[in-house]
Amino acid sequence: MAESTDIGNTDKGCYTDHGVSGYGVAVRLTCKQAMAEEQVKEMAETMMMSIAEKCMDLGARAIGHIKSHIRTECGTVKADTIGTSHGTYSSGSLAHPVKDLYFAINSIVQGIPEDAVKAATLEGIHEIADQNDIFVMKEKEHTYFDKFDFLMSKEEHQQQLEDQFKEGEEKK
Amino acid sequence: MEITQIAGFLGCGKTTLLLKLAAMIADGGKRKVALIVNEIGEIPVDGKIIEEGGMTVKDIGGGCICCEVAVSFGKTLVALYKQFNPDYVLVEPTGVAIPHQVKTAAKMGMRDAKLTVGAAIVLFDATRPAELLDMDLLGNLVVNQVRDADYLAISKIDAVDPSELDDIARRVQEHNQTAETVFISAFTGEGLDRLVEIILDGKE
Repeated sequence: MAESTDIGNTDKGCYTDHGVSGYGVAVRLTCKQAMAEEQVKEMAETMMMSIAEKCMDLGARAIGHIKSHIRTECGTVKADTIGTSHGTYSSGSLAHPVKDLYFAINSIVQGIPEDAVKAATLEGIHEIADQNDIFVMKEKEHTYFDKFDFLMSKEEHQQQLEDQFKEGEEKK
Repeated sequence: MEITQIAGFLGCGKTTLLLKLAAMIADGGKRKVALIVNEIGEIPVDGKIIEEGGMTVKDIGGGCICCEVAVSFGKTLVALYKQFNPDYVLVEPTGVAIPHQVKTAAKMGMRDAKLTVGAAIVLFDATRPAELLDMDLLGNLVVNQVRDADYLAISKIDAVDPSELDDIARRVQEHNQTAETVFISAFTGEGLDRLVEIILDGKE
């Protein structure tokens, strides 16, 4: 189980304006035995749910989405969940069983910091991969959280955009 | 070039709907449609899904187009206008974007491109009204999105008991009493014809 990370001085676990944190990762999964479409879908759905459950265990208040896209040599599959009480969904097709899966996963969650989302996502991936005798190689990752003040006035937003454009023009 | 955003909180079905609407509007090549998808992260998932649907898509990552990467959004619109000049651009902002700020960012593209910023269609997930509206911070965000809607689309109605729909709509309409409400399902196609009319009509 992922350990909850330090969330600073807030007692609600949120340090952004609306408490939304996210983590994206791209991994290559290599299976010892080729997996058929239904096995891949089941594994992906189980992984989405495992990540969602770990986020909730760490104190998340809501799952925005846990969403994935799997590319293989013979087709693609997508799988996602919007919360532990909502189940999982998958679609797509594979022409034949595969050993190599290129997985892109985005986890967006409300109520826990980004390093907790990262921990839950990586643990969920590895836990389900281990259960299926799959080797995981991380290729790219990105953590983020939305620092944006969504209550700024229209005038302030317009000014922010004007400033950004000016910066862009000056760099030319 | 008419710009319409399909907004709404995470997981409300924006990507699935966008694919369906784009195909309906293109109508077998009668109209040129371009798609812009924005994902906060740098690992694209939605863009890949839409490409598989046979649509060309511009994926803007690394931030939200209503704020952090607003300039990239404006420049993307200008580039689309100059290179492709589509009749319609459908924009899927991130699930945390504020629709009126997406409009403001889009209007920045008017300096260098002949474009019209049309309606903000805001989706609300019928399968989780309490989860979305009853929590403090998350509720504030969702309510702000709903308030900005020119049209409210209650989504995933195929997954909800029909007897609950009026109550769900009433809860959402408490925050926006002027927007027309459309009940939709991207899976069954219910309500999509009305959304296509709205997009083709192009009025806020």
